[in-house]
Amino acid sequence: MPTGTYTEEVVRIQRTGTLYDCLELILDRGMVIDVFIRVSLVGIEILKIDARIVVASVDTYLRFAEACNRVDLEFDRSKTVPELLGGMAGGGGSPAGRMATGLGKKKAKKAVAGVGEKVKRAVGAGEGDGEGEQGEREEREERESRPRRRTAPTRRRSASASGSSDPSEPSELSEED
Amino acid sequence: MTAPAPAPAPAPQSVYVYGVVRASHAVPPGRTGVGERPAPVRTVRAGALAAVISDAPARLRAKRRDLLAHQDLALTLGRDGPVLPMRFGMVAPDEESVRRQLLCTQNDCLAALERVDGRVEMNLKALPTEADLGALVREDPEVSRLRTATRRAPGYEASVRLGEAVARGLKRRAVAAAATVLAELSAVADATVHGPEVEGCVLNASFLLDRREQRRFEGAVERLATAHRDRAELRLTGPLPCYSFTEGRV
Repeated sequence: MPTGTYTEEVVRIQRTGTLYDCLELILDRGMVIDVFIRVSLVGIEILKIDARIVVASVDTYLRFAEACNRVDLEFDRSKTVPELLGGMAGGGGSPAGRMATGLGKKKAKKAVAGVGEKVKRAVGAGEGDGEGEQGEREEREERESRPRRRTAPTRRRSASASGSSDPSEPSELSEED
Repeated sequence: MTAPAPAPAPAPQSVYVYGVVRASHAVPPGRTGVGERPAPVRTVRAGALAAVISDAPARLRAKRRDLLAHQDLALTLGRDGPVLPMRFGMVAPDEESVRRQLLCTQNDCLAALERVDGRVEMNLKALPTEADLGALVREDPEVSRLRTATRRAPGYEASVRLGEAVARGLKRRAVAAAATVLAELSAVADATVHGPEVEGCVLNASFLLDRREQRRFEGAVERLATAHRDRAELRLTGPLPCYSFTEGRV
């Protein structure tokens, strides 16, 4: 059974008071009565577009490419830690261990570094270079004051998305008066 | 000095409509609605139905404050009985037209109220995730090929092409995971509908559930989110007013 923290990371359950993930329902679903007037439709349409996530941007592609180039396939193929450690000890029984001996120390070191990264990621330690799975959203969200470190427990909550083509509009949604 | 021209007769006050409830529904007193200076909420009864309304604000726009006011009222009403939430921004010219409308749609509304009685809407969105980029690189021949090419000849164009392929690949993986998730959750919900397409999401679905089933449903979503975490990110929102289930006919 996963712990609370764990599941919170896996699926965020948003309740009353958040609009971000149900905006389109308030605006596009709900009962409509034809003879009534729908006010400010134009304003509403603009807001909807602004609230959307802009995924297909060159920035995103470049970031994906960078992340993709960092993926260490050598490590990912040799799945288990014992195999890697066997390799480091200079032999051991496993085929991977023997192979690692053959390939020399350099590769084994690289693999160990890979393990360290994986562990860090698993325990949620800060990773300075933004390979985090939610980096994309934070980037959009916090374009101005962008902390690229992972801040796992305090993930994005608000509805404001700054990935808008028209900078004058997002204020519609966040405006409080 | 001549007397100022007489002011035109005040137009009948237009009203903002929040939702439709049964005439017997007790609407909590003291609530206010949308607008800069929110007007008190009241009801208009007709036959077996009542509409929950307030005076329409002079200039209504989709501000966060007003969207929340609309949503909160629908949620509050939902605690005391079934409610058919209106789409945000529905304004009737006057109370009389609301009354007429209630009477001529009475049967449909009553059927819809019956359907959502004791139920809530839960909305689920699924998005691509980068959690397992390694698997994508290994399994997607195009990504793998472009990655090799980019390493051989790095450059802006090559990186953009690689990034595009990654985005496509991640989306494909998320779509596949979302299909499984949708099938499993539909089996435990009373009804399922697809929501409007949302940029960046590969799935936007709403589920109608018995209020008492909410915890169990959340548990199911958590399990699925864990099982598919390398392929899709799931976001569950609710309980919501039953925006997506206001049709009387099932």
